[in-house]
Amino acid sequence: MEELIAELKEKIIETLDLIDVTPEDINEDDRLVGGALGIDSIDVLELVMMIDKDYSVKIDSKELGEKIFASLRTLAEYINKNRQEQPR
Amino acid sequence: MNRRRVFITGMGIISPLGLGVERHLDSLKKNESGIGPISLFTPSPGNSFPVGEVPGFAQSLHVPRTHELALVAAREALSQSAAAPDSIVLGTTTGGMPVTEELLKKNETDPELYRYHSTSTVAEFLASELHCTGMVLTITTACSSGAAAIKLAYELVRTGTARRVLAGGADALCRLTYYGFNSLQLIDPAGARPLDRGRKGMSVAEGSAMLLLEAGESRPEGAIAELLGGGLSCDAFHPATPHPEGRGALAAMRQAVQNAGVALTEIRYVNLHGTGTKDNDLAEAKAMNSLFGNGMPLLSSVKGAFGHTLAASGAIEAVVCAAAVSEGIIPANTRCTEPDPELNLKPVLAPLAERAGVVMSNSFGFGGNNACLVLADPCMNHEKPEADDASEFEITGCACITGAGDTDQTMQKLQDGGACIGTLPLADISKSLPPREVRRLKRLPRIALALAMEARKNSNQDQGPSAIFFGTSFGPMSETYDFITRLYASNEQFTSPTEFVGSVHNAPAGMAAIMLGASGANLTLTGGDYSFEQALIAASLTATDDGGPLLVMGADEFHETLSPLFDESVRLGRSPSDGGGALMLRKYSGGTGVRIKPLFFENQKENPAVVASLVRRLGGAEEIRARYGALLAGMPMKDRGACETQLKGFISAAGFKAPVIDFRKYTGEYGSSTAAAAAIAVRFIHEGEIPASVTGGGKCLLGGREILIIGLGSFITAFEIFNYA
Repeated sequence: MEELIAELKEKIIETLDLIDVTPEDINEDDRLVGGALGIDSIDVLELVMMIDKDYSVKIDSKELGEKIFASLRTLAEYINKNRQEQPR
Repeated sequence: MNRRRVFITGMGIISPLGLGVERHLDSLKKNESGIGPISLFTPSPGNSFPVGEVPGFAQSLHVPRTHELALVAAREALSQSAAAPDSIVLGTTTGGMPVTEELLKKNETDPELYRYHSTSTVAEFLASELHCTGMVLTITTACSSGAAAIKLAYELVRTGTARRVLAGGADALCRLTYYGFNSLQLIDPAGARPLDRGRKGMSVAEGSAMLLLEAGESRPEGAIAELLGGGLSCDAFHPATPHPEGRGALAAMRQAVQNAGVALTEIRYVNLHGTGTKDNDLAEAKAMNSLFGNGMPLLSSVKGAFGHTLAASGAIEAVVCAAAVSEGIIPANTRCTEPDPELNLKPVLAPLAERAGVVMSNSFGFGGNNACLVLADPCMNHEKPEADDASEFEITGCACITGAGDTDQTMQKLQDGGACIGTLPLADISKSLPPREVRRLKRLPRIALALAMEARKNSNQDQGPSAIFFGTSFGPMSETYDFITRLYASNEQFTSPTEFVGSVHNAPAGMAAIMLGASGANLTLTGGDYSFEQALIAASLTATDDGGPLLVMGADEFHETLSPLFDESVRLGRSPSDGGGALMLRKYSGGTGVRIKPLFFENQKENPAVVASLVRRLGGAEEIRARYGALLAGMPMKDRGACETQLKGFISAAGFKAPVIDFRKYTGEYGSSTAAAAAIAVRFIHEGEIPASVTGGGKCLLGGREILIIGLGSFITAFEIFNYA
């Protein structure tokens, strides 16, 4: 789990071009969207694509997305759970 | 003299409901929907969802689908009249994309195959087929393009600039929009159900509608409806999501009502934008409730019938509104079964047979670009205050970006005798931009934002701009290319929502509005080599609506793969160049200062007297010699021969002896180089002279005389910059 969180931090920074953010700046329990990182709704959709592509986990509605993207930890938990249920 | 009224005297339509106005009236009465499975291309596995495809439309011409749809609608609109339109104003977002994306999939590198890519080619194709020799404008404000085009056409007729204008919108289904909207999770897998409690999004669709607008002091025979006016606004909030309280929507509606000179209580029916997305319908409902309160008129969205035909939708819905006043058909909110109580709206659920006197039509788009139209029964005579015309502006600030750098660096380079061709590194363009806010932006939006910020900074106005007019020949090519290549690289499985949102031509102007808090009109004109002139004309036609300061700019980016494929001048020029220019303006209200005035815009095709017409418009040979101290000529390389002939013709007809500067030699070859030339001309006027390094002869002392900037090639354009002392 911690390994996945660390990996996601790197991927989020890369996917969203968060040029002035380092992995240490992201606290997995902080609010992910609309918080200090400046991540907005389009960024969330960009991450949805990345998660589908890299983990084969689909997040296909805004309602679902709001729960999953509450924090990095909730996101990692969702990926972990669904990845195990639906192996590649 | 009586007020000049604007009547709709012809209409044409092709949509998922079929072909022709009669067919549509029948479908609307029966509450039919044209939403169904896609057949134009095979979506990738797991990505099939309903669309609005034009049924049984087999193409017969060698042009992209968008162009042919537009021609079909245009021919129907003109079927009752023999004369050609004076002018054409078309809204489109896809242009030649249905063909371009197929070509890119096959890695086609023959530029000839891409000749209809530019959004401007749709209107130019119509002009050619319909023998229109006047002004041809292309407007690209995403999903409000069709309505914005009709608003501009209305102003052309109202101000007497043209008497018969063909206006509307066209878009064809393509992968870019199909997968793009899906990447934003804005597609309802069950098909659009606008305003319904269970709605999940829109259905992407295609089609075209065209209106013939004619001037008259009283109702001409055969008038279908009167166009009373329109309003434009910008959310200045987010690139793709509406302001949650519907702030921009409300502003556009208020502006339209004011512009039309009607009372809210007169409005009997509102055709909603109503895409079926959660956010749009909610924001629009809030705006409607704020505007009408307890006096809510009849209302419906027809996007459950048509799907969302994007740039065509505003024009298609103008046809629907014209039917409401002329045929007495109030269309249903097709496919809505249980209105969402959260919206606090009561949509018409079954078609009503009722003639509405005054109706309103909403269109909102990406970039927060909003437009709203008001139509009325042509037999009613509305008292309406005369609006004044803004034909010239005072320039309060200017900026350019060239291969040499920003404005000061460009002027220095010109002074030193060098050309400013080339492409400025992205880091230099971005030097004054807030890094986090621009992290998602590629080259063109950064150029546009840097221009907007510098012009704003150089301006001596306290206020930032309220309206923004942006000209670009090819829009954000980096975003478009990256979106398409990523789509194909994943076998059409993965796309980038960021790149889709960024790929729309009006994204840079929408971003500039957010950064500068500009909530007035926000229009992007994509008229090829004449995009900046078109933006200036759009500004002069709509700036009186709010009277605040405005920003008029033009920019293009050089893209390694696409620029040489799309723009023959770039290919022939062989020195990759890009950049643009921006002017901060305010309505001229007396006093001294540098001013700008658009003067002329005609199609040269089938127009042998075009140069003579230009000379006449400028006041004749003697006036031209006395007034202008220098001429800057835009001569696109692709039409070099024709440009030289036109220039010679003009110089000889006017007996012009002052310096003539072929400005693309200094800016490089790109569509919006005219915008950079305009900013440079403003500096020359301020300095009162043009350096010898630029004139090619001696230093040119302007001595109070003006600079004339003309565009040559397939169109001939002119505007002037002068110091009024």
